[in-house]
Amino acid sequence: MFVLEKIAEYAKDANRKAVIHGDKVMTYAQLEHYSNAFADYLLKNGSNKTPVVIYGHKEEQFLPCMYGALKAGRAYVPVDITFPADRLEMVLSDVAPEFFVKLRETDVAVKEGTQSLSIDKIDDIFASYKGGAVANENWVKPEDNCYILFTSGSTGRPKGVPINRANIENLYNQLISWCDIEAETDIITNQISFSFDVSVVSVYMGVSLGKTLYTIDKSMMETPAALYEGLGSSNLSFWVSTPSFAELCAMSEHFNEKMLPNLKRFLFCGETLTHKLVDTLHERFPNADVVNTYGPTEATVLVTASLITREMAEDPKPIPIGEPLPEVEFRIVDDKGNLLKSGETGELQIISDNVGHGYYGRPDLTEKVFFETESRGQKKRGYRTGDAAYEQNRLYYFCGRMDFQIKLNGYRIELEDIENNMVKVENVSRAVVIPVMKEEKVDYLAAFVLLTKAIDGPKLREITRIKSELAKLVPAYMVPRKIVLCDSLPTNTNGKVDRKVLAAQL
Amino acid sequence: MEEKILEILAEKCGVEPEDLKEDMDIDLFEEGLLDSFAMLGLLVDFDEQLGVKIEITELERSEINTPNKVIECLSKRG
Repeated sequence: MFVLEKIAEYAKDANRKAVIHGDKVMTYAQLEHYSNAFADYLLKNGSNKTPVVIYGHKEEQFLPCMYGALKAGRAYVPVDITFPADRLEMVLSDVAPEFFVKLRETDVAVKEGTQSLSIDKIDDIFASYKGGAVANENWVKPEDNCYILFTSGSTGRPKGVPINRANIENLYNQLISWCDIEAETDIITNQISFSFDVSVVSVYMGVSLGKTLYTIDKSMMETPAALYEGLGSSNLSFWVSTPSFAELCAMSEHFNEKMLPNLKRFLFCGETLTHKLVDTLHERFPNADVVNTYGPTEATVLVTASLITREMAEDPKPIPIGEPLPEVEFRIVDDKGNLLKSGETGELQIISDNVGHGYYGRPDLTEKVFFETESRGQKKRGYRTGDAAYEQNRLYYFCGRMDFQIKLNGYRIELEDIENNMVKVENVSRAVVIPVMKEEKVDYLAAFVLLTKAIDGPKLREITRIKSELAKLVPAYMVPRKIVLCDSLPTNTNGKVDRKVLAAQL
Repeated sequence: MEEKILEILAEKCGVEPEDLKEDMDIDLFEEGLLDSFAMLGLLVDFDEQLGVKIEITELERSEINTPNKVIECLSKRG
């Protein structure tokens, strides 16, 4: 029941819509044809099975290239335009791809042995293909990687998380019952950038069920009028996003049942779901369910799912991250690895076939957090999440991170990644980044910066200069909103920067 | 009123009101001082703290892309 088989099946209905993007529609038949065209090109012109790096943002060619790579037995590495050239270059250097699809222009340097394919070239490949389906034996096998997502790394260099077909098929089997609501006519959001794994719910579950993906791109997000107009005409029935995106939409009171009369379910993933959002959605969409899920990229998108009831919303405890999916085992352990009792807080470990095989080309990092164990009599892989959590009545509750990783507007960020890149900016000698909380989640980031030499011009210009220099090294969402130029940083008794003192100043 | 507007705007931009006063025509979006999320938060704060309701569906970025324009926009609607 892999997604590629299902695309071919839905393609038999010439009118079935796969993707709606503004005025443009791509049918399942086109998706099938274009992905075959790209797969055929890769098979005929390639000499190895290195992953295909795809750079862009929601272009209509993106999905066919992703599925095309899978049909040619290769993984794909989606890189969103939020990645600056510097990061894209690191990804290209780690992956050393044979093919680099550039759906957007970038002047990034490409090494010998990598063939760049422009958007025009991709269109050519799609338009000139006269063949049929690519034979199944070329497709990715269960043990083959399907995608590699690059996520923030504490050293200042992103790390790749590969996920294979068996991981995705396990997720599919576990999650299907949560997605299968009126499959024939469903319209599902396609908003999360393909470089973040929440998009997998639409790309694998949604497409496997023959739903229509309704694309909300960056330009719509930047123009509220276009966003609400689009939502109003979308007829969405299944909403998948980070809570942040729904919060953004909910800032207009018109975001309600009248705007989306067919909406049956919100499925959230990627960060803390707040009471405030749950209350707003329960009030404005009385006929839609709110489902919360949880999972790290390393364990294939999500490993819990729970319907958020009105009782949970009224409970002052945090909204639960949910109950593990049937195949998934959770363990809460103390710092020595001992299992803790119900109600006690410790590190959450995930044991499941959803757990990937480690970090791409980084056995040192893999060894620290991935492990093998036995669960219910079977050998399974485990992952130490670094998330603190506790269990009560089979529901799990998230209590924050045990390190410097945070989630901001759904994006996973290592604070040290920002700090290590900030000191590369001219005239910055030291930087400490602090998350500023509002209600139950991170509202924005603030950086305390020590300058190498004092400035004589306006402070605002120096702040915007640091921001724009930093934006060349890290994605825009990692650039702290607030930058405080200071003469010294407070230290604690160990001589380390006292983050608590800094946080109290904000 | 103007002071209060600048105070709210500066908070969302992560700077001090005095910093903004140094350059009231600075492009807030291009200079990385505001993004979509901060902009929407700004409108919520204007509503809650100043009682000025601006419907985001009717607002273009170009109407509030500098501190001067933010003040102009609010005085028009306030």
